[in-house]
Amino acid sequence: MNRYVFYNFILVSFMNLMLYVPHILIDYRFTGAVSSILIGIVIGSILVYLYTSAMARFPGKGLPEILKLYYPQWVVTASMLFFAIMWWFATTIVVVAFAVLINRFFNPDANTLIILTMLVIACGYAATRSTLSVMFVMEIGLIINAPIILFVLFKAVRSTQLNWDAIHIAANYVTVMPTLTCIAAASFIFTGYINLSLFNRLFPPNFRFKFRFFYPLFGAMILLITFFVPIGFHGTEGVGQYIYIWSFTADSLLMQYGFIERVLFLFLIVYLNLTLVYTMAGWHQAMEFVKSCFPSNKPEIDSPKTPVSNYIIVGIFALLSILYLLMTNEKINMLVTSYWLVLRLFVELFIVVWVVILSKKGAKTA
Amino acid sequence: MNLSIRVTLTMLAVCLLGGCGFKDIDKRFFVVALGIDHSENEKKPYRLTLQLAVPSPKIEPGASKTQIETIDSESIAEGVRMLKAYVDKELDFGHCKVFLIGEQLARTDYQDVLQWMSRRRDIQSVADIAIGKPDAESLLQVKPISERYPGNTLFLSFGADGTESSYTYVESLSDFSRRSSEKGLDPLMPIITKDSKESFIINRTALLNKKRVKLVLSSSESQLYNQLAKDFTKSSMHGMFEGMDLVVAITSIHSNFRLSKQNDEDIVTMNVKMKVIFEEAPKGLYNDQWGPVEQQLNKEYSKSCVALLKKIQKANVDPIGFGLRYRATHPGNSAWKEWKSIYPNVKFKVNANIRIEGTGLIK
Repeated sequence: MNRYVFYNFILVSFMNLMLYVPHILIDYRFTGAVSSILIGIVIGSILVYLYTSAMARFPGKGLPEILKLYYPQWVVTASMLFFAIMWWFATTIVVVAFAVLINRFFNPDANTLIILTMLVIACGYAATRSTLSVMFVMEIGLIINAPIILFVLFKAVRSTQLNWDAIHIAANYVTVMPTLTCIAAASFIFTGYINLSLFNRLFPPNFRFKFRFFYPLFGAMILLITFFVPIGFHGTEGVGQYIYIWSFTADSLLMQYGFIERVLFLFLIVYLNLTLVYTMAGWHQAMEFVKSCFPSNKPEIDSPKTPVSNYIIVGIFALLSILYLLMTNEKINMLVTSYWLVLRLFVELFIVVWVVILSKKGAKTA
Repeated sequence: MNLSIRVTLTMLAVCLLGGCGFKDIDKRFFVVALGIDHSENEKKPYRLTLQLAVPSPKIEPGASKTQIETIDSESIAEGVRMLKAYVDKELDFGHCKVFLIGEQLARTDYQDVLQWMSRRRDIQSVADIAIGKPDAESLLQVKPISERYPGNTLFLSFGADGTESSYTYVESLSDFSRRSSEKGLDPLMPIITKDSKESFIINRTALLNKKRVKLVLSSSESQLYNQLAKDFTKSSMHGMFEGMDLVVAITSIHSNFRLSKQNDEDIVTMNVKMKVIFEEAPKGLYNDQWGPVEQQLNKEYSKSCVALLKKIQKANVDPIGFGLRYRATHPGNSAWKEWKSIYPNVKFKVNANIRIEGTGLIK
């Protein structure tokens, strides 16, 4: 069962490219990104350890059930509504960014609104499935796509175009003081653990979190590649000018004997799949959180019949996403994302500390 | 979910499909090469030349057909838009693998051209970029007789699929774009000329600063540069030993460099290690001692390398990236300023280490 925790972690760490994390870090490459990355790795790892240890004390329970054990319904409703908005937003910015990306790279003639509508219909339908199905879809999505992403990353690291002097120059700025925005962006790589807030429901009573050393190692590797490889490719100065920095890096690679010569298209298609899976998972969790606001709701991980409430809630999410696209543009989305990343860091800290305190309390009373 | 909802959703999805601006492949013109020149007209400074592939059912040498369209315009983007009015099919840059910049334009300012290329999403950053001499337009008019696909000749000359010449420096758009902004690493491009109506010659390299061409290397210097900076094997080297001509083929080469300071002098030390096999040598060399020959070759090689490096230094460009290394090894914001004052006076030292592997098939 431990692999389901890994899937969440790996999925979110790959998604950082879509959340402008490399863009934010690279903007600050001379002003504190490197030290922030180091601090981000430490903070991220600590949060993973704390949260998994705390969650291990509540087998088979998600965050809503844990809160219901200790607090009256109104506290649960208020906090779960807030968390639902956070989760919905985390995925909406990604799916909206991807709709814009498809418009930029695949077909500039297509209407972004129509592309987004297609995407949200697919994600929305998948999100209304049961928790167990969502987990399985995530597993399949990752098993198919992760090897290709690792291949592209490996190809990029091994490329002769990678200039190690440029990477060395950027790394020299490690002594500059870190900034909050950068720490928030860097720690996002590790944020997959927070999905346990819902998916902990799936785990049986005797479940134990194993191989926890894997999280810091994998997260640090992805984070370093995310930041340093584009600098090695586009130089310390040139790297600052690109908006879709990783799409551009993938475009600088060539698969001479691949079916498609440009790595860009492979990269975009794989990321499209991951975006759909990520959005599905995020909306599903937000949906379950909203449902838990009603006192009568009983958590079910594999209901044979889809409740109508699922469709209604996800339908609202989908409409709000489309509204978000209409109200923003590329630049505002990027700005909102960077603020959201900071907010997310604090909300997560809050959730983790809260659950850790509750788990200690539970140990005393029990 | 009951059946009717499923069917409705599917129908809805199908209806949405029509929205894409999809055009069939036979309604598209694939641009295979783009040339950008300076026109004489002051109001319309850019002359664009597009080589368009004309699809043909025959695939045999010489069957390639292309259509050339030329236009003068105020800016590149407007020129491309305007050219759409000259042709009947949609222009598609997705297969454009070669960009030629006219020599005159490269000698004035290339930054605008580069910016346009980086901004367009359908221009691949793996495309090759080169300087056309005397201008890009006349080069695109060349019709190589052995060409099988439209525009294939230039593309094959640059890639590793066709010929691999030690005289040809291959520059991709993404690398060029990095070099054009990096402090301490300057851009360079191959120069393409034509010898007749039917073939190209790509054996010289232009070194540029952040704005224009500063220095053009001769063909033997270009080969030497490829050996030093790109570890290009499949190349040869010429030397003399006791008045006799020697030509060796390089089978493996590794070079690296480091910056150091000795007695208040900044020194760039390059170490070049290579293994060679004789291609032309006086008979009987097999029985001689190879040691002195190696040493003689070492000496000559380092001499020509130092001469090349000094020439590059004198033009005040830095394509190998000494400045970048200096910035990497000297942390701090002032490193770049220091290097700019150091570079014109830096001393070069090249340690060649040539090992003879054999004399070929005969003694």
